[in-house]
Amino acid sequence: MAAASSSSAQVFGNRELEDHNQMKQQHSTTPTNISSTAQAASAQKKKRNQPGTPNPDAEVIALSPKTLMATNRFICEVCNKGFQREQNLQLHRRGHNLPWKLKQKTNKEPKRKVYLCPEPTCVHHDPSRALGDLTGIKKHYSRKHGEKKWKCEKCSKRYAVQSDWKAHSKTCGTREYRCDCGTLFSRRDSFITHRAFCDALAQESARHPSNLSTIGGNLYGGSNTPSLGLSQLGPQIISSLQDHQNNQSGDVLRLGTPLHHHHRPPPAGQFDHHILSPNFRPQQPSAMPSSAAAFFLPGDQSNQQYHHDQDHHQQQSHQHGFLPNKPFHGLMQFSELQSNASNVNNNSPSGAMLTLFKTLANLLMSINYHIISLTLFFSGLLISNHFSAENGTSAGGGGGGAGEGPNIFSGHIVSSDQMSAGAVPSLYSGAMQSNHASAVGHMSATALLQKAAQMGSTSSNNSTASLLRTFGTSSPASTGPNKASFVGSGLFGADQNDQSHLQDLMNSFTAAGNSSIFGTPFGGGTEEPKLQQNSNLPMNSSLGGSDRFTRDFLGVGQIVRSVSGGFASKRSSEQQQQQQHQQMSSLDSESNAAPSSQSFGGSGGNFQ
Amino acid sequence: MTSLSPSLGSPYPWLKELKSEERGLYLIHLLLTCANHVASGSLENANLALEQISQLASPDGDTMQRIAAYFTEALADRILKNWPGLHKALNSTRISLVSEEILVRKVFFELFPFLKVAFVLTNQAITEAIEGEKMVHIIDLHSTEPAQWVALLQVLNARPEGPPHLRITAVHQQNEVLDHMAHRLIEEAEKLDIPFQFNPIVSKLENLDMEKLRVKTGEALVVSSVLQLHTLLAFDDELLRKRSLLASKNLNGTHFSRVLQMNQSTLAELLEKDLVNGYSPSPDSASSSPLSPTTSVKMDNFLNGLWGLSPKLMVITEQDSNHNGSTLMERLLEALYSYAALFDCLESTVSRTPLERLKVEKMLFGEEIKNIIACEGAERKERHEKLDKWIQRLDSAGFSNLPLSYFGMLQARRLLQGYGCDGYKIREENGNVLICWQDRPLYSVSAWGCRK
Repeated sequence: MAAASSSSAQVFGNRELEDHNQMKQQHSTTPTNISSTAQAASAQKKKRNQPGTPNPDAEVIALSPKTLMATNRFICEVCNKGFQREQNLQLHRRGHNLPWKLKQKTNKEPKRKVYLCPEPTCVHHDPSRALGDLTGIKKHYSRKHGEKKWKCEKCSKRYAVQSDWKAHSKTCGTREYRCDCGTLFSRRDSFITHRAFCDALAQESARHPSNLSTIGGNLYGGSNTPSLGLSQLGPQIISSLQDHQNNQSGDVLRLGTPLHHHHRPPPAGQFDHHILSPNFRPQQPSAMPSSAAAFFLPGDQSNQQYHHDQDHHQQQSHQHGFLPNKPFHGLMQFSELQSNASNVNNNSPSGAMLTLFKTLANLLMSINYHIISLTLFFSGLLISNHFSAENGTSAGGGGGGAGEGPNIFSGHIVSSDQMSAGAVPSLYSGAMQSNHASAVGHMSATALLQKAAQMGSTSSNNSTASLLRTFGTSSPASTGPNKASFVGSGLFGADQNDQSHLQDLMNSFTAAGNSSIFGTPFGGGTEEPKLQQNSNLPMNSSLGGSDRFTRDFLGVGQIVRSVSGGFASKRSSEQQQQQQHQQMSSLDSESNAAPSSQSFGGSGGNFQ
Repeated sequence: MTSLSPSLGSPYPWLKELKSEERGLYLIHLLLTCANHVASGSLENANLALEQISQLASPDGDTMQRIAAYFTEALADRILKNWPGLHKALNSTRISLVSEEILVRKVFFELFPFLKVAFVLTNQAITEAIEGEKMVHIIDLHSTEPAQWVALLQVLNARPEGPPHLRITAVHQQNEVLDHMAHRLIEEAEKLDIPFQFNPIVSKLENLDMEKLRVKTGEALVVSSVLQLHTLLAFDDELLRKRSLLASKNLNGTHFSRVLQMNQSTLAELLEKDLVNGYSPSPDSASSSPLSPTTSVKMDNFLNGLWGLSPKLMVITEQDSNHNGSTLMERLLEALYSYAALFDCLESTVSRTPLERLKVEKMLFGEEIKNIIACEGAERKERHEKLDKWIQRLDSAGFSNLPLSYFGMLQARRLLQGYGCDGYKIREENGNVLICWQDRPLYSVSAWGCRK
């Protein structure tokens, strides 16, 4: 037996063990580095304990620099082989047939040990500031008092600890953010901070007030965006209602445009992808004064979500928001849209997005998308895509008058269809957490898959499970009247004045999400004919049809809660409601859209 | 409306801005979308998905980018196989260098602990099984790595009763591999002065002639198979498909739609199942398709042949994944999970750039993925199956499951601890061993004896 074990050690090499120990060290330091950047952000708020305030009854150990840095402190007296741990030496001694003894695991808590830095001038030389683990003190000693032996070939930065150097070399040069002013950044957060203050940026944003590319980021979840995105949907909906009241032909375009304003500072530098055509530039920012910004993003909340310096830009861009009485190309553009459709569908989501922005339905979809896509649509999609594929051209068929509008969008992005909304609340919070995490480091593929799968299981455990399941067989959306609730129930229906409230809206959106309205993700040009049919689809009366669709069967109440939770994380949701309510009214008064505001105001209680 | 078209940059500019996690999730989504399109034959849509993925995937990016790169290649390959001429033309200048293959195997052996653990367990089981034996014959099915037997020689040399007469019969289809092996082992045996004989057989496993193994009475016979047995599963559905094509020509239409429907259900189910307990074996994967058999003729014959040699011990190491599902989506999902784990291992133990890592990923995992996704029938060799399937199969072939040596497991654990990466784990299951990354079993090692 002993022979066997020693032979395996020979074959598989002590060298390897050491190598891997190094790897381990490296590994353990990498996350620390990253997380420290994350902590740095919160450092201003919460003061951390000073490092090294050990438990007073811990055993204090002072090692000489030489012993401290020795890699193999435990030496075999027979062959002089050194080991990092005593346990390993004991195991090794066994091979020499020497007496050996392994420490047994004891039940009582082992005596805690703390280590002093051997450098007398160092704060950690004082026993009251001793560090709690041996590797920690080793690294501390090398970093602070040692020679920086490791030099990055690319940027000549030097490191004392090899693992630090390795961690740096991995990322050195791979991430670069260049501001228009010419400054280079390796870290995204410092880049963003810089840009908030950079003059070049201000100029840039004057030229390109907004940018569609931000939407892409938002759709797929910039770390902060989900909650913001959602929180702003409400206002947009409201505005759409108001617009509609004012002008039945509907300035649909306007509804779309705010979408791309809300999240990020106007991009420049490497983020600058100018997709937005001049037509769609928001006009007359003054139309919606800063109150609009406040509406979207009450100040104290924004601190939660954003760097405060970003706020500035957001507000700026929010001011571009919707422009109540601005004439826009309205639904007229459906025909043009149609002509563009194939191009759009086939080529690029971003192109498609432009198209989208022209329609109210697009707005809805984006909402949907915000709700769902951010929080992983996959699980549903897995099935839904399949389903859509089978349904061929009818894939987009949300069915029914209103349902077809969205066909336009079936060509792109993801079919949000079966996104079971029931999954959303939990997913949503999950996404927020993970966004948080993503700031710290990237997830392993396994974790990503699990996350994706989690969506699947959450959704089907939910009350919406049945919905999800029915997709295997046919498209419920294309058969029942409820599918019409897509735009239907609250938004444009004739019944706005009565019971339509936000929950309805949310219901209908999520319902839309559940019906296969958005069709196959890459639907190609097949939907073109439908577009044409739809071109005279001014969100018409049939839309109003199904305001029966009010039960919260998608768990939307929770969505709203989670929305407001994300929106105002420190605020209670009631306050949130009130606030929104107030803001709604203020908005109303500005835009003279009283009727809808009433319906909304009345719905405050139903908000949850 | 010219203003509508994107004016600058790539058609998907925002894709470039996604952060690692966002991108990863989006890639998963795109991959599954694409696979769905491939499975349902809508190539136009699949193409669009591939185009999007290509914006995000990268063989030297983060883990999910890498995985996505290989999975898309595999999916594309599958699509391309619809035009055999095109496919052949595009692969016509492809050369596979044996030396490269050996190198990649070697790197796999060195970068991961899996083979080492398997070897430690196997060798310990052998050592214990042949205790006191004077004549030992080891049959190594598809041998590639001499290190295993070098280690065994050293162990046997230290045996209290002295080393036995050792004969190793090595089966491999490439002569070079066997030459290399012979050289290394004979050298070692001479050094240790162990009576040793090396018997190389150049043959594919599926064509192996049992006679050539030259098993003699009186010697203690041991069979060792490392990541090889699953290739024998490759023939069955080919035969069966032909048979069923004849049988069910009229029913083809209904078959097709059934398969499609199954795709739909398995997606969510598999994802879900996987979440519940890391993995729950889907007992029906082999039998779920109306086309695939529950028993594998070729495999049964081979196992019966081995049984006829009445080995004292047989140790089998296999990939512990269910990559032999009948539908593309089933396999794709399973493969996503297991290769995600493998790529994660590399990501957390090896730095990103080394050529070795890229080679293992491309030439080993990438090729396996391609085989799992793109190939069907006899071509599809990477039919990895879970341990419980192997247990069933071997049990019905007359073998009895022997518990692996406790000491072997102890050694294996120590070996993994030495790796200093706490992601690697060993799980014991009824005397068999699963080697895991985190909670996901990746390889299984099991020992078998002949039931009389």
